[in-house]
Amino acid sequence: MKMNEIRAAFETEITNCQDLQSLQELKVKYLGKSGELTVLLKSIKDLPAEERPSFGAEVNALRGVMEARFAEKTDTLKALDMQRRLQEEKVDISLTSCKPLGASHPVTLIENEICDLLIAMGFEVLTGPEIETDYYNFKALNIPDDHPARDMQDTFYITDSILLRTQTSAMQARLMEKRQPPIKVICPGKVFRSDSDASHSPVFHQIEGLVVDKNITLCDLKGTLEYIASHLFGENTKVRFRPSFFPFTEPSVEVDVTCSNCGGKGCSLCKGTGWIELLGAGMVNPFVLEKCGIDSKKYNGFAFGIGMDRVAMIKYGIPDIRLLFENDQRFLKQFGK
Amino acid sequence: MKLPLSWIKEYVDVTEDIQTLCDKMVGIGLEIEEVVYLGENVTNVKVCQIVEITQHPNAERLLCCKVDIGSELIPIVTNDHHVKVGDKVPVALHNATLANGLHITKGKMRGEESWGMFCGAEELGINGDFYPNADVDGVLVLRDSAVVGTDIRSEVGIDDYVLDVSVTANRQDCNSVLGLAREVAVALGKTCREPDVSYTESGVETTSLVHVDVQATDICKGYYMQGVTDVKIEKSPVWLTQRLAKVGLHGINNLVDITNYVLYEIGQPMHAFDYADIHDHEIIVRRARDGEKIVPLDGKEYVLNNDDLVIADKTRAVGLAGIMGGADSGIKDETNCVLFESASFARLNIRRTGRRLGLRSDSSARFEKGIETYTNNLGLSRALHLVEQLGCGKVTRGRISIGEVAESKKLTFDKKRIKSLLGIKIPDGQILSILSSLNISTNIDGNTVTCIVPPYRDDIMRDCDIVEELIRVYGYDNINGTLMEKSRITCGGKTAENKLIDGMKNVLSGLKYNECIFYPFAGKALFENASVNEVDENQYIKVLNPIGEELSLMNRSLAPNMLQCVALNLSRGNRSLRLFEVGKVYLADTLPLEKLPTEQRRLSICATEVSFDDFRADVLQVVRNLTAGKVRLERANTELLHPGISADVFVNDIEVGHFGKLHPQVAANFDIDVDCMFAELNLDKLLTNARGDVKYQTFAKFPSVSRDFAFLCDEDTPAQAVLDEFLNIYMVESAELFDVYRDEKLGAGKKSLAITVVFRDRKKTLQDADIEKQSGRALKSLKDKYGVTLRE
Repeated sequence: MKMNEIRAAFETEITNCQDLQSLQELKVKYLGKSGELTVLLKSIKDLPAEERPSFGAEVNALRGVMEARFAEKTDTLKALDMQRRLQEEKVDISLTSCKPLGASHPVTLIENEICDLLIAMGFEVLTGPEIETDYYNFKALNIPDDHPARDMQDTFYITDSILLRTQTSAMQARLMEKRQPPIKVICPGKVFRSDSDASHSPVFHQIEGLVVDKNITLCDLKGTLEYIASHLFGENTKVRFRPSFFPFTEPSVEVDVTCSNCGGKGCSLCKGTGWIELLGAGMVNPFVLEKCGIDSKKYNGFAFGIGMDRVAMIKYGIPDIRLLFENDQRFLKQFGK
Repeated sequence: MKLPLSWIKEYVDVTEDIQTLCDKMVGIGLEIEEVVYLGENVTNVKVCQIVEITQHPNAERLLCCKVDIGSELIPIVTNDHHVKVGDKVPVALHNATLANGLHITKGKMRGEESWGMFCGAEELGINGDFYPNADVDGVLVLRDSAVVGTDIRSEVGIDDYVLDVSVTANRQDCNSVLGLAREVAVALGKTCREPDVSYTESGVETTSLVHVDVQATDICKGYYMQGVTDVKIEKSPVWLTQRLAKVGLHGINNLVDITNYVLYEIGQPMHAFDYADIHDHEIIVRRARDGEKIVPLDGKEYVLNNDDLVIADKTRAVGLAGIMGGADSGIKDETNCVLFESASFARLNIRRTGRRLGLRSDSSARFEKGIETYTNNLGLSRALHLVEQLGCGKVTRGRISIGEVAESKKLTFDKKRIKSLLGIKIPDGQILSILSSLNISTNIDGNTVTCIVPPYRDDIMRDCDIVEELIRVYGYDNINGTLMEKSRITCGGKTAENKLIDGMKNVLSGLKYNECIFYPFAGKALFENASVNEVDENQYIKVLNPIGEELSLMNRSLAPNMLQCVALNLSRGNRSLRLFEVGKVYLADTLPLEKLPTEQRRLSICATEVSFDDFRADVLQVVRNLTAGKVRLERANTELLHPGISADVFVNDIEVGHFGKLHPQVAANFDIDVDCMFAELNLDKLLTNARGDVKYQTFAKFPSVSRDFAFLCDEDTPAQAVLDEFLNIYMVESAELFDVYRDEKLGAGKKSLAITVVFRDRKKTLQDADIEKQSGRALKSLKDKYGVTLRE
């Protein structure tokens, strides 16, 4: 009889229980060491021996029922509790600003981009001295003393025979003296010319490309430059060669690309021509190969020199080269992520 | 090189429009810098004839004219009283524009209709070089041959284009109208006529006038001379001065104009001597004597040396060879006999002399680029032809010719060379026709190509030069890109060091620093700003010919540029700065340089609005990114940083740089009015201890024990020294400072350091006794060394 009262009271209480803490208390009240059911079971000793087994079985059955109900109710209340927390816990997620990382200099961005492109084609990236000998900067490149080609570049001299390199081409002979083909190298770095205005800086950055091997042709030069141009300025960029002259390449070409701003239709950036003059290039003059001990009958090569500042200006729409060296943080930060 | 279209037409029948012509010229390698149409600003001006002149009824100063403009008679009011009935004059009609910017409209002048305005030479943008009598003020009276009703531009010679052609340094032959005409002919697929060099010798024997002795044969490859007697010095005809005017020269007299004309047309600098000024009938081409003086046409005196070449008679130098004639041997109005010199002087020599004396001329500019002996004869003959054409005098008999005569070069090469360089095949027929258009006579026999190169093409020396000629005419558009399919595979990539530097740059951008690039040179004033001491200029590598003093010394530190940049940013309101530069400093073993200096790679980092501790953390982050070596900091003593708030960085006991707060004096020098932290690190040294590969270590099995200690110590006791005492214990895993505390109760000059030490033994569970024993030793050592005591 007592058992039925307990069962009924339990049912009422567990049904009304609303939170996990009261449920725990309820569990102690019924199933704890001095809980109602435990007390009930202890009363077994007052029963006649023949009733004890069935009483014991009933109490245990009730315990089983209660435990199941507790487990079930725990799950229910936990789920309810999570529902409640999900509704209550809320933040304002609308803010979109974050403190940007530091920025790489735009010239570095261009350098990295060109290096990545050419490394994928098997080019090594090497650097050389900025204070250079007259020999490597001029003589080894087929520009003897007092050659008119020296007028093409206003040179800063340190002594009669030491100067600030005017071109990364100065690396050509340095490389070829030490190695035999196949050579595929690019050399980024600072170069110096005595010139200063909105489009000329006395210090600027070139990247020299040099390939020497058997079976290297002008078509390979064009293909390589097309590959670079299409990645730098967009898939549809076209490359045009115009005849030119550099003492260390023969044939020599000026290389134009279709204007990235107007796509070749003509705009102010390309002065209406649809083309932008980008770099000088050519097939390595056999004189230079021979001077470095490379057999010009066996090997051909090509070389190109890209002005990276100019590429950065075109690609990012920078109007004045001096911005690149002024380092106003508002300028620099624009190239960050 | 300025190139009038009309002059080109003398040699090539150009019928193409100007744009087509320019495109084709660019296509074969002649860069066109500028195209100027001379008559651009002169529009709607016609040739008219005055048929009636009457006095203006309302103004004494004005005349009313009726003029015939071909289609009709129109009224024109003028104030020029020199005009006569029957005169042909230029008239600017309604809506005409003039060279001086005037815009003419129909109107009434003091009540009388005037449908335009008569023009003077200046309003047409011309002078006497362009048109007879154009130097006279007032309305320009035209030649009788002028056709009424026609556009004035063709009458006065401004219906013409002048192209500014940029000639590459190898094509000295193209610094002339003739040279460019040959190229234009190639570009247009037409033929180029040869210049008329015919003349009749009718004077005395040249050798009876003068004897020429070329002594400096090493720097004078060719010397040619022929004379003109019975000279009449007068003005040149307009057709000639007009051409000279279009290339920027002013007509002087017939003889001088002829030398200038030949200079531009043939590319041969000429000199005309007044025979009367050549003493003893002797011309000597020799090196100047050291200290010898000369006064050339510019009237200044120059002191010469043995490297200079002069033209002299027996008594004195009469000209600076190839650069400028002497003041007293030039052509004068009374000159009666002239000697024309046409020579090849060594370009190296002309260039050096010109540079040293600061003296340049049209002639020297061409000699510097190189003049072939081939042109010597051609130029001289052309000059004599013009002498005859202009009726200047009698050409003497025979030519004095000294030196080598340029000859055609023969080149033989394997035809396969063409394809191996270009990557495309050009058909034999095309090869022959292209080279023939360039006057390179060619024979192809099987695989052997034989070329005879004309003497004016000294740039063509070997097979690859011929290949270039072929492709520039055949067209670079025929080259199709390939990707080195037939070359060998190579392994690319950056050097290990450069990869580390790239990684370091990423760390810096992760720490929110922005990358800068500076010039590697600056000036003494800037360097002094970045130091509390005076700067010794003699330690710096110096540019001999800098743009300015402020860009003349190669950097020995990255600080000056960076601090100048900080100042610039602050002045522009950028207060919160985080900047870095990877640059170089240039350190000479000896000065002046005898060999190339050391170029040391460095990193500079700079920040404002940051504490010393935070900045130190950033610097150490970068250092540890690059090196696995043991890092130690010591109080620094630099000319740049605050002595109390700066540190030298050591890696494995080698100093690699310093960092800290700017010295207040340096900050003041730059007007930096905020706390500014700066670091400069030697990357070359840091990279010698580059971090190696990671080796995995198993996790410790036994638990660690953490203990806190609080110490009382002198203000000067370095916290790192306290930590190091614990870190030296083998069972100490880490030791970190977590609090610094100062209080009156501690006593003046005292501080309290609180540290956490984590102990762990990798072989067993630690017992208290172990920890007591080990830390006891550290505590004793601290007390002995620094007087540091444990706080109660």
